[in-house]
Amino acid sequence: MSTPAHSLQTHSLRKEYPGTVALNDVSVSFIGGKIHALIGKNGAGKSTLVKIIAGATRPTRGSILVDGLEVSLPSPRHALERGIVAVHQELSLVPELTVAENILLGRLPKMRGLGNSIIDWRSVFARAEQILADLGIQLDVREKASSLGIAQQQVVEIAKAMSYEPSILILDEPTSALAQHETERLFDVLKKLKMRGVVLLYITHRLQELREIADTVTALRNGALVGTIGIDQATPAAIVQMMFGEVVQRSRPADLIAPTEPFIEVRSLCRSGAFRDVSFTVNKGEVLGIAGLLGSGRTELLRAMFGADPPDSGELIIAGQHIRPTSPEQMKELGVAMTPENRKDQGLVQLLSTRINLCMSSLNQIAYHGFLTHAREERLVERNVQELDINVARMDAPVAFLSGGNQQKVVIGKWLNTNPRLVLLDEPTRGIDVQAKQQMFQIIWDMSKRGISCLVVSSELEELLDICHRILIMRSGRIVSDVRPSELSLENLFAACMKEEV
Amino acid sequence: MNTNPKIQSLFTNGILEIILVLLCVVLAVTASGFLTAENLLNVLRNVSMQGVIAFGMTMVIISGEIDLSVGSAVAFSACLTAFLTQKLSTEWVSLPIMLAITIAIVFALIIGFFLGVFTGFMRTRYQVPSFITTLALMTGLSGAAELITNGFPLTPFPNWYNFIGGGYLAGIPFPALLFLLTFVVLQFLMNYTTFGRSVYAVGGNAEAARLSGINVSRVKMMVLGITAFLAALSGIMVSSEIMSGTATTAKGWELDVIAAVIIGGTSLMGGVGRIWGTMVGVVFLGILMNGMTLLNVSEYWQHVVRGAIILVAVLLNLLQKEKRQR
Repeated sequence: MSTPAHSLQTHSLRKEYPGTVALNDVSVSFIGGKIHALIGKNGAGKSTLVKIIAGATRPTRGSILVDGLEVSLPSPRHALERGIVAVHQELSLVPELTVAENILLGRLPKMRGLGNSIIDWRSVFARAEQILADLGIQLDVREKASSLGIAQQQVVEIAKAMSYEPSILILDEPTSALAQHETERLFDVLKKLKMRGVVLLYITHRLQELREIADTVTALRNGALVGTIGIDQATPAAIVQMMFGEVVQRSRPADLIAPTEPFIEVRSLCRSGAFRDVSFTVNKGEVLGIAGLLGSGRTELLRAMFGADPPDSGELIIAGQHIRPTSPEQMKELGVAMTPENRKDQGLVQLLSTRINLCMSSLNQIAYHGFLTHAREERLVERNVQELDINVARMDAPVAFLSGGNQQKVVIGKWLNTNPRLVLLDEPTRGIDVQAKQQMFQIIWDMSKRGISCLVVSSELEELLDICHRILIMRSGRIVSDVRPSELSLENLFAACMKEEV
Repeated sequence: MNTNPKIQSLFTNGILEIILVLLCVVLAVTASGFLTAENLLNVLRNVSMQGVIAFGMTMVIISGEIDLSVGSAVAFSACLTAFLTQKLSTEWVSLPIMLAITIAIVFALIIGFFLGVFTGFMRTRYQVPSFITTLALMTGLSGAAELITNGFPLTPFPNWYNFIGGGYLAGIPFPALLFLLTFVVLQFLMNYTTFGRSVYAVGGNAEAARLSGINVSRVKMMVLGITAFLAALSGIMVSSEIMSGTATTAKGWELDVIAAVIIGGTSLMGGVGRIWGTMVGVVFLGILMNGMTLLNVSEYWQHVVRGAIILVAVLLNLLQKEKRQR
């Protein structure tokens, strides 16, 4: 409390890229001792603003003031020296190094003497342990980063940021990979930093977090500052208004009737170390949710059903046919599709165009005896664009240029082109904005109406309650209950997922 | 940036083609004897044997793999063809020479194909990098070629056999026709078939391709198989040109071939590349070498220039990519 609060101001920050203005004269000020949420749709300019403040990009014009003094930040290194640290959404750990080395990367403690060139491993580990302890996190600092799950890697990223003792800390969607209790721990840490007068910029798509953690809410739209409001004024309606202007909030359609004709039966599926003895049935056209914490085996279950990581034992029964999944190729033939959790690395080939990605699973449909026909390809792609409302300027540009929401639509479109009967969706709404999420729900409902069954895994439990006919709760590799959204509240669902194994 | 976008796109996408044309213009003026049909056809013949392999290598590199064994595979296939021809026409049985040669060629091509499939199998079944398997094959096949020839050139071929590597059809060198045929087939395969699409997908992101239901193993085995097949074909062309199976031919070709592919704009990271680019790369190197020889540039300098070209070409490619991304 004794430390004076830091501050961060920007003056008419502008960033132009050829053809677009990513940031349009943004003047905003953030004071220390508070947590400032930064919200906006994908492409609203949040990332650009963060990149400029973190020294990763230089603005076209405008200035940045730290503690009232103008600073020049030509590189991330300069920003770090000013105490500006950013934790980006993309993880940047070196997989083959230990947790401790990653935390202290580039600043490993050295032994005295010998020109300070020998690493002092004892203090490396001690210091890393100290940092993690401050955060209240238990993690073996000698473990390799590659052996950690995404949530743990995220935690290491945050620990790394803390090790710089930042005066300005920027967190870009830090909770997108975290489970509820991990998120709460992170919030405790942030509150501690707040006490020290640190300026905290917090970017999130999870609007329900705002109330819990933020003091002010600042919104950007189309590269321009919309405004800043106090958290007491930040009603959901106000937030949506700031982010989108006008928007249609789609609610659950009335004609969504729970189907009863079974399509696939999963029988005693096991995969060692992931899940065991999983049995359930998905009905034709049913939207079945799987709720569970990270590490409950939900992703592994989907991957096993899709043949991506084949199960050790158990089988699937589709239309009386007994099937042991062995490869995605085989499951695709049987009408099963999967949109993976990590769409960037596993769902799409980023180098290739949107058009090619859309047809990647349905090469046989766009070809005649192995020879590609442009007309068929065009037909599929056009249908996708129409049905899914994919917003693409150029179909032939690499899919990497698309926003998260559009990329997810491309992944789904890719599978719709195979005429699937069951779509396994792993975190379909991760990292996409509110509007795109609504569209995603609509797409899932549309599939359901066409008789396509959907199995949806999501960390956003309230979403499952919104979209599913039925929810399976998974805990420690087992399905522990089978519920209907109308039967329970969000709190009950959270509790059911969290409960310790008895 | 006020230039016509069409011209700009030609410049960013066709810079190698432009440089090739400029090179030809310069050589036409400075090097006497360059701009004659005879010389140009000669260039085409000179590049054809490495060229056929380069098209296959393009697919291999796009798929994210590499094949270092192609040089040795050429020598091995040349020696195997000569060896089998000799055995089948005189020693084991005395088949008519025509039949013996046909059987030898077919056998050499099949063996070649399966050597490539083997590399792919090691890659996909046991995760042995193709770099390692083909490095082993590079040494192994070179030794095998020495073994079956006992270290001496085998010369069982009749005169007409020279047609494959040294003959002319309608005034065009026959090997050049094989080179063009290979180009057309692979250009078609990569751009107009589901297989070609799969190759790009696998090279761009093998895991995403697998999760799209593409059989990654099959694609890699096929790509490596086709390339090893083309290396065997090249070996047959070489054996015909020099009328013998000699174990020391084609030493170091793998690097020349890879150089041509890279100059043609294919990325060693996989996922990016064009068969047409390799065509330009192969012809570019052929013309450059030919021009320097006509201008009496010493062979040592030729090597230095070639090295510099590889570096500059890759640099240009990367700079263009950066520009496009911005």
